[in-house]
Amino acid sequence: MKFGTRWPPIPAGILIGVSMLLAFVVAGRGIGASGAMTRLVAWVQHGLFPAATEQSAYFGKYFVDGAHPLNDYVVFLLVGLLIGAFVAAWRSGELRLEVLRGPNITTRNRLVLALAGGVISGFAARLARGCTSGQGLVGGAELSVGAWAFLMCVFIGGWLVAWFVRKQWI
Amino acid sequence: MDLAIPLAKTGVISDAVNLWLAIPIGFVFGYALFHAGFTDSRRIAWAFYFKDVGVPVVMFSAIVTGMIGLWGLSLIGVLDITLVYMLPTYLVPMAVGGVLFGIGMVIGGYCPGTAIAAVATGKVDGMVFVGGFLIGSLLFGDFFPVWGDFYNSDYLGAFRLDQWLGIGLGPMVLIIVIVAIAGTVSMIFVQDFVWGKKDTMTKSRPFMKLQGALVAAAVAIGIIFAFFPTESFIDDTVETPFYIVPRADVTEVAP
Repeated sequence: MKFGTRWPPIPAGILIGVSMLLAFVVAGRGIGASGAMTRLVAWVQHGLFPAATEQSAYFGKYFVDGAHPLNDYVVFLLVGLLIGAFVAAWRSGELRLEVLRGPNITTRNRLVLALAGGVISGFAARLARGCTSGQGLVGGAELSVGAWAFLMCVFIGGWLVAWFVRKQWI
Repeated sequence: MDLAIPLAKTGVISDAVNLWLAIPIGFVFGYALFHAGFTDSRRIAWAFYFKDVGVPVVMFSAIVTGMIGLWGLSLIGVLDITLVYMLPTYLVPMAVGGVLFGIGMVIGGYCPGTAIAAVATGKVDGMVFVGGFLIGSLLFGDFFPVWGDFYNSDYLGAFRLDQWLGIGLGPMVLIIVIVAIAGTVSMIFVQDFVWGKKDTMTKSRPFMKLQGALVAAAVAIGIIFAFFPTESFIDDTVETPFYIVPRADVTEVAP
């Protein structure tokens, strides 16, 4: 049986689950994506304003005892994620520069909304201490109450505003 | 207990090796995200319109796989569950963060992991989303004193669903398997009802047979879990059995 480019959802989900399980077995922790991005902005800001960033109530913890914010598990994981997605797309012949959007929105508006959505999610992921992978999937598998509350609220939040941005997608 | 797994926590592998091993693990994650169709913002956003419910089905499958693997390895005495890190629960901040996150997802069309995967495959909207995500993270960190107290409020520690409901871990695993299946079936039903029986989920026969077999296997494992004497290995009467980040590490207080 050949799966092709788009796998059926259950085998695809199982492979994501396997990557999570590998992290549990090897590292004793889960996978995640947003933490590495926070460390990236902390590192960039530290390059511009070292003193202020080290004293920052939130970013300061990444620089304790001269630590380098990018020398962390989640950053290495993110590098692997980039390579994995790149190789998968390349092998499927899906590697091309494009803007994905619904049929009823211009490219410019799609990019404006992508930026706005990014800012909101970036803030929200910090507030929730993780994103869909680190908080939702890993915490969900660990049966964490906070993770299941987070997951349900993600869908509630999405449904709340779906109607207002429907022209972007359908 | 002298178990060898998790490898990095028991000293079987060094911290440096552990870091390098994160790259192949991330590779599997990214590879799977692409083949799940998650580098396509439309497909992610369509989940919120029930036009393509693949996203929640993939998420349910991933959670059930990770859950069965993690707790199963622990039950058969291979993995020391007390060494696996679990994010403590801060209920209200996490719920509010979740609502905001969902709003960002339907507006932007991605979540962080999928956006990074989309960047790797050349999706320009994914790159712009990541740019926004970095700005959002920066805003949160730089204005942390404004919401720091809220961020650290409602702390419940490492708190599991089975502890919350007062049931055993085994039955809880079975309940999650059932919730995942019921969620999948009802969402497919809504999708078919709203959008017609258009095939957006690869419903060809061999695929459905394979997936049916996988679901049946999950149910069977869940039933075994439900009758496994899990109390013997998790003693919740003592302080939480999980490895938790020291409080000082997570409860940075605003100056």
